Amino acid sequence: MRPLTGFVLPPDLPTLGLLEPLLSIPGYFEVTPETTWRLDDRSRLVENGFHALFREIGRAAARPFVAHGVGLSMGSTSASDVPRVRRWLSRLRRDQTLFRYLWFTDHAGLTMAGGRSLTLPLPVPMTHASVAAMRRRLASMQRIVPDVGVETTAHYFLFGPPLEEPAFYARVVAGARRWLLLDLHNVHTMSVNMGFDSWEYVSRLPLDKVIEIHVSGGVSSDGSWLPSGRSLRLDSHDDDVPDDVWRLLERVLPLCPNLRGVTLERMEGTVDVTTIPRLRRELRRIEKTIQRKAA
Amino acid sequence: MKAMPELERFLLEALRAQDPGEALAGALRGEGPPLSRELRSALAHVDPDGFRIAALLVTKLRFERLLRGSSEAERLFDEDPGGFARLFKRYAHEVSPSAVLPSEEATLFDVWRARTP
Repeated sequence: MRPLTGFVLPPDLPTLGLLEPLLSIPGYFEVTPETTWRLDDRSRLVENGFHALFREIGRAAARPFVAHGVGLSMGSTSASDVPRVRRWLSRLRRDQTLFRYLWFTDHAGLTMAGGRSLTLPLPVPMTHASVAAMRRRLASMQRIVPDVGVETTAHYFLFGPPLEEPAFYARVVAGARRWLLLDLHNVHTMSVNMGFDSWEYVSRLPLDKVIEIHVSGGVSSDGSWLPSGRSLRLDSHDDDVPDDVWRLLERVLPLCPNLRGVTLERMEGTVDVTTIPRLRRELRRIEKTIQRKAA
Repeated sequence: MKAMPELERFLLEALRAQDPGEALAGALRGEGPPLSRELRSALAHVDPDGFRIAALLVTKLRFERLLRGSSEAERLFDEDPGGFARLFKRYAHEVSPSAVLPSEEATLFDVWRARTP
């Protein structure tokens, strides 16, 4: 089956309003589950307004959903976070009966440290212990959604050589129905910041394990942010998809036999009326590239 | 707090430090809490600029989470962005980042403001 084009549903009403004309184009919608929750006055995880709104968008467009979280902190090993993760997975189990996510991914690395939220996915050393931690988390996710995976995260520092990451990811996703979400903008961002060849990195990944590809754009940090004056590329999801990422997509598509979707990401709050035609062109370009190049 | 793996303890402290780059450099010089040889070896690979950018983004994401969850914080920011930035800096320093959802962060902020002169 040919891969579909996907789009992330942003948890922001003004942005959703602007995106409404585009919502008939994607073949699926990507949802970050925790953006559809809130805590009630008894500290239980309950649905917020976006839960029903996203379901209605999917129903009206007759489109399925995929889940892509940020908060499961795949690489954490602290016992402090276990109760929270249990609550989240319990909530996800209830959501699965409503959203019927086709697959469920989260970011490689950790977003929680000792039960405290750092939010930004951070790298972990590429060790057996880190592989084991992420595989345990995948096993927990897989009890809810059968197809699960990790995303190739955009890290701003690593604990080892970047070109060793692909083999690390291969160990994490080994096994049945465990997949990789290949984020090409993340690879591009890291290649620019860390000085390696992005195709060398991509070609070392287990491409038969890629279930989904992300494409997006980003900007560079202001040189005044760092004492060195250096500017780093950011995975900010707030700009057009750059040519380097389109080129990576064209090259990698024929090599991903189990690919099911290519998702365009755009951050809420970064869209105005002038952005809509560009996003439409990007979604159409993904469709055409899939038609020409997919395995 | 239950036993925290060494890496998580280091990241939590260093990324929230006044100068994360110096926190990293100090750890590599052997200053502060003793680190295992394995972690010191891993830290030797870390790009200090990347570490500083990560620290900035950690703060930025918490700032955005608060604004998303708290209409009061949003109002304060709209009225006086510079003043709110200073207020947030105090808040982020004094209150451990235990919130994950925007509504949780809003509650933490309200509690802190109520007890802060």
